[in-house]
Formats: sequence, structure tokens, C-alpha cells
Amino acid sequence: MIPTEIARKILDEGLKRGGDLSEVYIEDRETFNLDLDDGKIERAVRGNDRGGGVRVFYQDTTAYAYTDDLEEIALLEAARAASEASKSTAEGRILVDLTKRENPVDVGVKTPFSTLDEKSKVDLLHQMDEVARKQSSYVSSVNISMEEVHRAVWVYNSEGVWAEDDRNFLEFTIGVTAKKNGTLQRSYSGIGAQSGLELLESQSPLVLAEEVAKAAVRMLDARPAPAGEMTVVITNGWGGVLFHEACGHALEADFVAKGTSIYSGLVGEQVASPIVTAIDDGTIPKRRGSLRFDDEGTPSSRTVLIEKGILKDYIWDLKEARRAGRDSTGNGRRETFRHMPMPRMTNTYIDVGTHDPEEIIRSVKHGFFAKQLGGGQADFARGDFVFTVTEGYLIEDGRVTVPVRGATLMGNGPQALKQIDMIGTDFALDSGRGRCGKGQWARVSVGQPTVRVPKLMVGGTDREIGGQIGA
Amino acid sequence: MDEIKLAQDIVSKAANQGAEAEVYFRVGRETEIQVDQGKVENLSHAGNKGMGVRIILDGSEGYAYTSDFSPGSVEKSWQSAFELAKVGDQDPFRGLPEPGEIAAEDLEIFDGTIAQTQIAEKIAFALEVERAALGFDKRIVLTNRCTYFDHDITVYLVNSKGFSGSYKQTRIASYLNAIAREGEFTSMALGIGASTHMADLNAQEIGTEAGMNAIRMLGGKPVPSQEASVVFSPLVASQLITFLSLALKADEMQMGRSFLLGRMGEDVASDIVSLLDNGRLRRGLASAPFDAEGVPSRATKVIDEGMLQAVLHDSYTARKAGLQSTGNAIRRSHRQPPELFPTNFYLQPGEMTPEAILSGVERGLYVLNTMTTGGINPVSGDYSVAARGIWIENGEFMQPVNEVTLAAPMDQMLKHVSAVGNDLRFVPMFGVFGSPTIRIDGMTIAGK
Repeated sequence: MIPTEIARKILDEGLKRGGDLSEVYIEDRETFNLDLDDGKIERAVRGNDRGGGVRVFYQDTTAYAYTDDLEEIALLEAARAASEASKSTAEGRILVDLTKRENPVDVGVKTPFSTLDEKSKVDLLHQMDEVARKQSSYVSSVNISMEEVHRAVWVYNSEGVWAEDDRNFLEFTIGVTAKKNGTLQRSYSGIGAQSGLELLESQSPLVLAEEVAKAAVRMLDARPAPAGEMTVVITNGWGGVLFHEACGHALEADFVAKGTSIYSGLVGEQVASPIVTAIDDGTIPKRRGSLRFDDEGTPSSRTVLIEKGILKDYIWDLKEARRAGRDSTGNGRRETFRHMPMPRMTNTYIDVGTHDPEEIIRSVKHGFFAKQLGGGQADFARGDFVFTVTEGYLIEDGRVTVPVRGATLMGNGPQALKQIDMIGTDFALDSGRGRCGKGQWARVSVGQPTVRVPKLMVGGTDREIGGQIGA
Repeated sequence: MDEIKLAQDIVSKAANQGAEAEVYFRVGRETEIQVDQGKVENLSHAGNKGMGVRIILDGSEGYAYTSDFSPGSVEKSWQSAFELAKVGDQDPFRGLPEPGEIAAEDLEIFDGTIAQTQIAEKIAFALEVERAALGFDKRIVLTNRCTYFDHDITVYLVNSKGFSGSYKQTRIASYLNAIAREGEFTSMALGIGASTHMADLNAQEIGTEAGMNAIRMLGGKPVPSQEASVVFSPLVASQLITFLSLALKADEMQMGRSFLLGRMGEDVASDIVSLLDNGRLRRGLASAPFDAEGVPSRATKVIDEGMLQAVLHDSYTARKAGLQSTGNAIRRSHRQPPELFPTNFYLQPGEMTPEAILSGVERGLYVLNTMTTGGINPVSGDYSVAARGIWIENGEFMQPVNEVTLAAPMDQMLKHVSAVGNDLRFVPMFGVFGSPTIRIDGMTIAGK
């Protein structure tokens, strides 16, 4: 995107006033979005954003300046601004020679989705709409989105880093509202990967449309959810979003270093049930959270966070790693060139266990099965979380019985992690819909096998059932 | 560069091809500073620009954007939008609005002093916010993301119906989380302030709010499950108002996705509840002379003394309903076409002080923080959140409460609003939503 000679000049300018490290980040992003609502294409958007940012580290301060102009003069101006803002007073440093880094992580695309013409994409969304509507006459509204992103990034820094990554994301999401006798129920899900047209061979948007419509209709006859503390079984795959929100964020090195995380200073300690192993792995081929290099040019890696209940490591970016005098784990990510990197998860999951998932259900006399979770929110200082269950069922005498709606799961992540007493053999990553917000958005994957938590608070509106189960 | 001229150029080229065209330019600067433990941690400073073109061909719409204003890129953008309009679906209600009269009144949405203020002064502000939080109580051990932010933008909008306008807008915000610790207990609370004008922001207040609430919630425990009254702080009530507004947008209504569907003209709330969407609020963070489609902004009484009177429209939903747009088209960035969204949307304040509301509660929960992600559902009308706050008995604060859920149908909550405070506040998080302190009776609290 920019010749390495110019990158060198910019890095030099960034260090002129004596910063510890300077970095240039260049990004070129193309997007294509289609939204279909009520059977019609409501939005068709194509666009291109590009720009660059210069970051200068000086002691504990990080200064950043960015520009949407990639001319040499604009980038040099950004470098000067960052360097001045860093308030550094040390002697200028010598630049290390730039060496291009290689990383074999397979996130390549076979057939770019852009080879499919726009009309065919529009037709595909219409087909999804038809499939969803024909599931039931109760389906009252369907909205479907498709997103195609091509993001090319270049990173250079004054310690010799030169890395390039080329990322292609494709994603389909669908929300279906079903209506019966004044009751409205909405169900939502999506599929996606770092992929081109070949995504459609492994994950069908039409099957997705069918499943989501069926789930919305199923929940129309659901009873109000029980309220109270009970045994909760959480589904495999997307269920891992709970670990992501309630524990994963607390393992990010910025929160840890500040001391705001509940896991600060606990490496080597027992922080989870001995059957829990949790991993962040940015190297899984094609996954939504995978990277060849992170947005600081560090090769992506597999990091064991918790092994058999013992805390092993955190999730690091360059800034926190430098402060701690260690290597980054390749988790420095940024939403766009307008953002500074921070430690972020990639594909994060609880590893496979030993229990037959059916045996897990059979083990519960009275409890709750969370089959589809909505989004979640967690307070990273305490690890308290709340999750909406968009599809939930009662477990009675070891069997999954009636659907219940309006349930929320709430509790404390670190405590729940200690309590987990059964983990299934049915490990799966989610279907590729995860989008994590931490002031900036990042694409992530989550995953887990079926997991049993012996006691968790279920918030619902039906107090009578809650009373029975609580008793 | 002359953005208006460039925009007019594209508009006339597209119009010559038989299309309706709208061009949006946005040019601005922003500064963001984060401090930690008395030092600058992050400082970011930048110029930002972007343009977007919307093309409508026989009721089918295409949109394209770019951050590159070079002639080649601008040309490519409007042509891509044109191509997309060709493959989209026709909808007879899609079209640009006719231009309307823009009132000359000064909405006070631009503060020229922000661009003049030295970075050092902005840093000092952020540091003072942090000091105020840490200094509130020695149990406040840390702050998180203590941030100062400002931006300064100029918007240009031109369309083929003959509209041409521009305005300047500033926004300044500061916020932080304060973290309190005592023994095994930890709690965290938000402090936030935002305005169009620098002089409206008070560092002491922002820091103190975070510190005070973190201390008040320290050591919270669940209470037994029961039905009781709740008092929502303005921050918490704003969250409810945010979701309520989604059920009051005409697009959602027209798709059948609102629990208030078919209730027009009915009493949907207690008679002390009046909801207003006001795009012309003086110093309002979402105020502007015209909306994202060039429709003059206005104030719309959505619920008047409990009665549902109007819903929010852009030109598309209005044409579908045979009504006038309420000026509610907004733009999240140059990367997206206009969409229907509230402007400054708020519950009108009443007479009571928050203290008087709290002291009138016999038994209930003063809610200072809620967590939700989908538990408030504008389609089904369900409301279910995890809550923290302080227990009240006979008007007195008792113990802090944590790990409880609050649940009730939203239409019941609206009917059971029994007090509205005089302390209206806006929270600019997912839009600009405001509320005073409110009391709601008959909530289900699920706890121990």
C-alpha cells in the first residue's frame, strides 16, 4: 500500500523526539452490505474506507494520530503529531531494518464472494426470506442481512516488524418474528467465516433461515420462564459466549494490568473447576476470529488461558506485553485505523470434556436448559453477567420438556467457572456470528461443549414455578 | 475544497441519468484522551472525512461511500450506488423528500471554543475527573477508561429535489468507571457528562457521581423474591426509554414489530408520563436544523399525559402512512444511508425532587445500575434486567442490593409509573435518551 521506504520515513519521524517505539498501520477496507426487510431489499451499500495511523510509545503514554489520507505528507504529519503528543524527551532512537514476517495460518479465500454478481446475492436473500416464511403461517416478519468485508492491513514498527494481512469476512444473519394471538416472539442467528463463496458449501443460509423461523414459532407456545436458582445446562457452540463475556474479558491484559480484573495476580492459582480448560486460539483455519497477524503485526497464536482449572496466561497486546517485559500473544486488535489496538479475544472456548451430553441432561431432576442465548453483558471488575435466553426449556426428571421464554441467566462468571461439574464430549465453535464490543467492535468466535452449572440464577416472570424449583 | 459544489456536481450527473440523488459530506476533527492514575495513557488526535451517495431509481435504492475525495473515487462511488439501485427491489414509497422551510433559530449546537482549547487543558480536565472519583472515598481504588472526548464536524447535504444545506456541530463528553473495593467486595459505577458546549461540562460532578455510586453499591447482596416498588435513577430510566423508543418508530410499527401496535389514541401509560422527541432542543446532542434527509427538524409529542399520540417517521414511513416525516432520519456515519431513529428523546420532567420520590417509598429498590442484552424487548414488550441498587424501607436507604432481576411487561410498567422527578438528564450512549428519576410500582424482583 505504501512503499517500505516511506514506512521507514514515517517511523523515523515518529521517533524523532525520542519515543520508545513507533508504529505505522495502514488499512484498506471494502464492504458490501445487503439488508432485506419485509421481503424487500431495504439497503444496498458498497464502500471503501482507507487510512493510516501512527502510534508512538513513550514510557506509559501512548499517542496516536490517524488520517484518511494516505499521501506521504499526511502520514508524516500524523507521525509528527503522535510524536509531539507522546511528550517524550529522550534521545532519538535508531530504526531496526524492516523484515517481512511470514505466518502460515490458513485464512485464505478460495473463491472471493465478490465474484458472485450483485443480482445473485439479492436473489439469495429473497430465497432465505421465502424459506423462513414457508415454515409457518405464524411468521409475521423476516429481516435478513448479508455482509462482505475485505480488509487489507499493513503494519510496520521501529523494531523491524513488517507484516501484511488480508482478511475476507462473509456473514449472513436473520431475525424472524412470529405472531400468534397477540404474542410476538423473535428469534435471531447467523453464520459466517473468513471465507469466500465456499462458505455456502459448508454452511447453508437456507438451512439457517429454516432453523431460525422454526425456533421463533416454537417459542410462541412457550410458558413464562421460571425465576430462581436452579441447575442450568448450557448448549454447546454459541453457549461459549457466556465464558467469553463473564471470564474472557477479565483475562485481557489491560484489565489485568490495571488491577480491575478479578484475575489479576492469579497465574498459577486454581480459578476454575479442575475439569475446565479454556483456550484462545487465533490460528484456527477460516474462523471468524482468526488472524495471520494481529493489528500490531504479531503472529496470531494459541494461548492456553486456563488448564485443568489453573490460570496459565492472559490475553496480551504489544503495549501490555512491553510493560510486563514479555511477548504479545498476538491479540492486539483494532476496529479500524481510527482506533488504537487493545487486547482482544480471537476464537475463545472451553475445551472438550468427558460427559455424554445426553447424560448431562439426564443428571438433572429439575432445571433449565439454555439452548439459544441472546447477547450478553458482564461487569469485568466482578465478573457478574446477565444473558438473555432466546430459546430455553425446562428439564424435568432428566428430560428436556416445555419451552419457556423471557428467561435471563445471571450470576458471577468466575464463581460459575468454579462450579461447573460436567462438560460434554460435543465440543463445537459457534456458527460464526460473534461480534464483541469493548468500545470497539471485533469479530470473534466462541465455543464450548455442553456444560452443566449446578446452581445459577434464572430470572423470569413466573414466580410460582420458581418457588417450586427453588424449594 | 468546496464540498457543496462537489456534491451538486454528483447530484446533477445522477439526475441527468433519471435518478434521484442525495450526497452527504462530513468533515471533522476529534480528540480522545484517556488517563490512568494521574497520567495520560492514550491520546488520539485526528481529522476525519467521508462522503456518501444515495441513488433512487424507480423506488429502488443504492448507497455507496468513501473516505477518499479524489475525483476518481467520488465518481466511482456514485456509479456503484447507481448500479446497486438497479439490482434492488422497487418500492413505490421510496423517494427523497421535498425540501421544507428551515427555521433560522440558533440551536446552539456549535461551540467554537473547543477547537481553540489546548490539548493540555483537555488532559487537565480528564485528570480532574479521575481525581474527583478517586478522592471521593479511600475505598475507590481505581478508575477505568477515564476519558475525555470531543469532536467538531461540518455536515453538507445536497439532493436532487433542490435541497442544499450545511451546519457545524460540536460534541464534548467525559466519562469513567470508578471501582470500589472493601475486603472481598468490589463494585463499579459509571460517571458521565456530555454536551454540545465545553462550559456545560463539570469534571467534579462526573468523577463524584462515579465514586459515590460505586461506594453506595459496595457489598450488595440479593433480597428475597417479591413484588415491590422500584425507583429508577435517570441513567437507569434512560435505558428503559431507549428501548421504549424502538417500539415507537414507524418502521417497526409498519412491520408489526412493536408491543404498542394498534394502540394509537389509547392511554398506554399513567397520566404523568409524557414522551417527547425534540430535534430542536437547544444544546441537544441530537439537535440539528435538518435531519439526514434534509427534512426540517421538529418536536413531536409521542405520548401526551399517558396517551399515545404519534410515532416517529422518516420520509419513507411517512409516505407509506400518508403522513408527514417527523424529521427522524439520522445518519450513524457516512458509511450508512439515513435510517429512522429518535433525536433527543425524553420523558418530560415533573415537579418532584428525587429525594421526595425516594422518601415516599415504603418498601422497594432504588435502582442505580441495570444490565441487559435483549432482556428489554420492544417487540414482545418484555422487560427483564439484572439490577443493582439500594434497598428502601419507609423512605430510608437500607442495605445495597445486587444479583436480583427485575421483570414486568413494559405496558404494565408504563401504567404503573407513580412519580416523575424534576431531574431530567440525557445519556448519550446508543443515541440521545433522557429521563428524570421515576418510580414504578408492582415490579417483580427475583432474588434469593
